[in-house]
Amino acid sequence: MKRNNIRIAIQKEGRLRNPSLEYLESLGLQFPKQNGRTLVVPCKNADAEILYVRHSDVPQYVQNGAADFAIVGGNVLYEKDFKIREVEKLNFGKCSLVIAVPLDSSIQKIQDLEGERIATSYPNSLRKFLRKQKINAAVIEIRGSVEVAPALGLADAICDLTQTGNTLKENSLKTIETLFDSMAVFIESPFESIRKDEFIKKFITTAI
Amino acid sequence: MNKIEPTILKGTRDFLPQEMMRRNAVMEIIRKAFEQFGYSPIETPIICPAETILGKYGEEGDRLTYSFKDRGGRLIALPYDLTVPFARFVAANYQDLPMPFKRYQIQRVWRAEKPQKGRLREFYQCDIDIIGSKSLICEAEIAKIIVSVFERLRIPNITIKVNSRRLMNAILQSFGIDQNDSLAVIRIIDKIAKIGKEAVISELRKMGIDNAEKIIATLTPEGTNKSTLEKISKYDIAELKEFLSYCTDLGVPEKNIQIDPTLARGLDYYTGLTFEVISEDADFGSICAGGRYDNLCGLFSDKDFSGVGVAFGFERIMLLLEQLKITGNGKAPSQVIVTIFDENSVKDALQTYSKLIEANIATEIYFEPDKLSKQFKFADKKQIPFVLIQGPEEREKQEITIKRLQNGKQKTIPVNQLVSYLSNYYEAQ
Repeated sequence: MKRNNIRIAIQKEGRLRNPSLEYLESLGLQFPKQNGRTLVVPCKNADAEILYVRHSDVPQYVQNGAADFAIVGGNVLYEKDFKIREVEKLNFGKCSLVIAVPLDSSIQKIQDLEGERIATSYPNSLRKFLRKQKINAAVIEIRGSVEVAPALGLADAICDLTQTGNTLKENSLKTIETLFDSMAVFIESPFESIRKDEFIKKFITTAI
Repeated sequence: MNKIEPTILKGTRDFLPQEMMRRNAVMEIIRKAFEQFGYSPIETPIICPAETILGKYGEEGDRLTYSFKDRGGRLIALPYDLTVPFARFVAANYQDLPMPFKRYQIQRVWRAEKPQKGRLREFYQCDIDIIGSKSLICEAEIAKIIVSVFERLRIPNITIKVNSRRLMNAILQSFGIDQNDSLAVIRIIDKIAKIGKEAVISELRKMGIDNAEKIIATLTPEGTNKSTLEKISKYDIAELKEFLSYCTDLGVPEKNIQIDPTLARGLDYYTGLTFEVISEDADFGSICAGGRYDNLCGLFSDKDFSGVGVAFGFERIMLLLEQLKITGNGKAPSQVIVTIFDENSVKDALQTYSKLIEANIATEIYFEPDKLSKQFKFADKKQIPFVLIQGPEEREKQEITIKRLQNGKQKTIPVNQLVSYLSNYYEAQ
């Protein structure tokens, strides 16, 4: 498919969406406020369009060149193990991937996780961590609401993203280990094109 | 009563489960690589009419071929390699085969030689061949597969030595060696890695070849493929150049290929490019070898098909893996063993066993209620990682305990989470 527009993928819904739009505006790009259903929104003042996709799908689009640029959480890149060039780290969407256990748990340090059940939506990041720490454990994959898994008897610990720590507190959980800190990053597809170079020159280099 | 001695023949071996698991794992990696490149499996008979085997390999090959008379007085031979049986197979079946035909074959072969390191009298070869195409893309594909197989096996530092039989004959001829003598000369040059340059030169001299030193100097490879080819550029090196160019396009790293004009391969049937793979880390000969043969199928049929292929020496690869300490641990196939606590536990244990098998978790069961310590000991001997225990207390609470023998850690969970726990268990070490 031939495409003349630069395409920038961002999160369709979630905490990165609005700061991502603000960042693109700060680069000088203008676009209409989308009604929430349109997936591709053209820019008013550049040969560019914004592509709204599921957060976890963003790297896939960029990897295959279906999008030229994207804004994505560093945690998603790490989880999906995509090696994509970062143009810039952005100062928003900050969070940490942590391991947390119930307040009254006998698990106090990471070595105590040996043989336990850990619920997570980030199985690859967790397994990478376990491998590095040489800890064997059952990785129970859950899509959302991971924080309730211990109370329901499904897991002994969780591995989840946290920003303020409030959700953990509300569920009587405490952090015993931080796997990594993450923030939003501006990424670039691995395919070279003049179009892309021109766009970087015009909007990004001047803005940075 | 007199017992029969449980002996086996010299040059043959028994393989115990641990070693067999390791061998199977390696064979599986090789098989997967072959299939990735689109090769189909075949098998040929072990006992063959002697005339299909004899007379194809040269004098030494004939001498080392196992043969015997069967009950009907026919002379029978066991395969010396898999290439000749394959050529016979193609001649017999070509009408049913898509041409060009790519096959892989992993079978035992037999050679009645003095058993040595990495070479028994009965051993496995893993062969790939392409038959029915003369394109040098075939040779380049073979080089690609060789690199891929050793990469998958995590064997580093391999070199594919490549030469051309045609080129070698042309060079020998230019030094005045008669075509009738060239096979004998090639067989002597073939020993260069084994006995050294000096010994080869003196053997050639004994044959009456006075310019032996010059011949060997011309054939000896230089530091790079480019300079090797430059040295012999007055001969027809187009074949090697085309091969190298395909290899580059296929992404075969240049460091893995060495043009070596001394490479002979002792076998008679090669006519084009020949290959031999050596490892820097091995103190024995090649770990894979082969080449192009134009006339082998023609021995069995009026149809003539050109073929090219290599044999991976399975036993030597196993030996090398052992030397490099990259053999797997050869654990028992089972991941889990279900113990039987007492007579009252039999029913639940059998049900757990069945549930795990149905969930595709490799499991076995201890066959009778016994002291737990004895059941643990059995699990330990078989190196089964997970031991399941369900005593009366656990049964009461619908729970089950999972014991890791490796570190003694125990975890008790609801029975209905057992499959999820085991199938999501991540082994970090």
